[in-house]
Amino acid sequence: MNKIQLIHTLPNVFQSRTDIVSDIWKQDVTFEKGKRYLVEANSGTGKSSLCSYIYGYRHDYQGQILFDGEDIRRYAVAKWTDIRKNHFALLWQELRMFPELTAWENVEIKNKLTGYQTKEQILEWFDMLGITDKLNAKMGRMSFGQQQRVALIRALCQPFDFLFVDEPISHLDDTNSAIMGRIMTAEADKQGAGIIATSIGKHIDLEYERVFNL
Amino acid sequence: MKLVWKLLRQHISIPQFLGFFFANLVGVVIILLGVQFYNDYKALDNEDSFMKADYLIVNKKIGALSGLTGKNNAFSGAEIEELKNEDFVERIGAFTPSSFNVKARFDVEGFVNFSTEMFFESVPDEFVDVKSDAWDYQEGSSEIPIILPKNYLDLYNFGYAQGKGLPKLSEGILGAMKLNVLIAGNGNNDSFDGRIVGFSSRLNTILVPEKFMQWANRQYAGGETVKEPTRLIMEVNNPTDDRITSYLQERDYETDEDKLDASKTTFILRVIVSIVMVVGVVISILSIYILMLSVFLLVQKNSTKLENLLLIGYSPAKVSFPYQALTVGLNVLVFVLAVIVMLLVRGVYLEMFENFFPDLQVPGIWQALVVGMGLLVVVSIFNIIAVYGKVMSIWKRKD
Repeated sequence: MNKIQLIHTLPNVFQSRTDIVSDIWKQDVTFEKGKRYLVEANSGTGKSSLCSYIYGYRHDYQGQILFDGEDIRRYAVAKWTDIRKNHFALLWQELRMFPELTAWENVEIKNKLTGYQTKEQILEWFDMLGITDKLNAKMGRMSFGQQQRVALIRALCQPFDFLFVDEPISHLDDTNSAIMGRIMTAEADKQGAGIIATSIGKHIDLEYERVFNL
Repeated sequence: MKLVWKLLRQHISIPQFLGFFFANLVGVVIILLGVQFYNDYKALDNEDSFMKADYLIVNKKIGALSGLTGKNNAFSGAEIEELKNEDFVERIGAFTPSSFNVKARFDVEGFVNFSTEMFFESVPDEFVDVKSDAWDYQEGSSEIPIILPKNYLDLYNFGYAQGKGLPKLSEGILGAMKLNVLIAGNGNNDSFDGRIVGFSSRLNTILVPEKFMQWANRQYAGGETVKEPTRLIMEVNNPTDDRITSYLQERDYETDEDKLDASKTTFILRVIVSIVMVVGVVISILSIYILMLSVFLLVQKNSTKLENLLLIGYSPAKVSFPYQALTVGLNVLVFVLAVIVMLLVRGVYLEMFENFFPDLQVPGIWQALVVGMGLLVVVSIFNIIAVYGKVMSIWKRKD
């Protein structure tokens, strides 16, 4: 997947509003592989909706979203599974981790599926992010900031053309944010992938190709 | 998959699954036992492999005077025609008696030396349920296939042999032996080998193939006209039909009535077994309903986990698999246990059967197994589809 295009896309709930000023909604926007983008948003401007549209689990929008020129509304279940497994990594704002499992198991459940990263690599990331001591801690017992770091590691445990991170550093200090940025960039560079980050204030420091205001 | 299972086994309700398990076990055991018991019972009732239960043998009553007055107890052509036109009759055939002298000798070196006058009868071959090559006579051949009445064997085994301290003979041993048959008449005198094809408890006669009878009657009875039959064999569509009884009574005909009763018993048993099996099916269906409810509840309780698994790239098939394996595994366990319980119960009643029928040849359990397997496959496919459907509804819920 080399290109994500949004053509006159608008969430259905905004349909009646006429005062929309946005760099993304109702515009023609293209995200290209290998480049970095930042989407800045205020609350309630549809940031989570954007995530769910391009990740294929909500379709309540008008206009079109194209992957390499193909309308994603027509994608079958198997195609979405393939995209989520091999082409598109997403770090959710709400993380979507499994509180019953340990930090390690949460990462493993993804890596078992893709078989993409080595155990050493994963352990190195845990170490870099300073959560090695939490490897065997239940996810539900960890702070949100710690969970955020585990979630990033999980997101990286797959091949991807795009990495979409939704408010990745909302609960992190600057040091950890910087480390996270480095890990993300290194992995994206290795894979030649694009990064799309969102923020509602504090944003992760990367060399952005373009900044959109949602 | 181990981690996925660790996740998805949360909220599994053991009591619900136990409830399903035992309810379904009861249902399946009832179904399997119904099938098996019916088959086993049929083996008791239908010892006679040469004649179907739907065949009746009809003759005229012999009154006290008929022998003296010389009143004919043979069926005339018109009487046969009338019977043939009754709509409870499917097919009808006449017994052809032999018009020549038959003498049979049975020799077993050192054991038995048995010689007797006898007679032959034949019925159309279509009424004899023996493979055609075993029930065939080639003109000029010295071997005649014969079916003997079971009574003869019983008379020998329980009367003669018992009294004289001789060994008892089974059907199998006798079948391997030859009967020496001497036929005389019309100036001819020949010796034949009688090959005992089997014993019939329904036919009180010594039966030979019709082809042999026709040839022998020509050969050894020559000019004599063919006698009118005194006994008829007929296939009826329903042996329990009351019209048969009343028709026969009106005309003073007799039939092997106890067999008529036996078919009635079989018929009633079939109805009872059917009812019991329906109960089994209902119990099974209800228990499967419980299983589906608890699986759906489980899916509902774990819907967030399922959704997250789908979002991190697990396919609906992979996510469905643990619950499908769980239900199919339970089904298999129920099937295996049900077969074991059925075999145990069967062991108990077969022991009782064997007290009455020592010679009993019971059928295998393959039919019950096939029914059980069929249930297992159908129910499992249903479970697999239902679970997948439920997972897909989670996939689509965000629409």
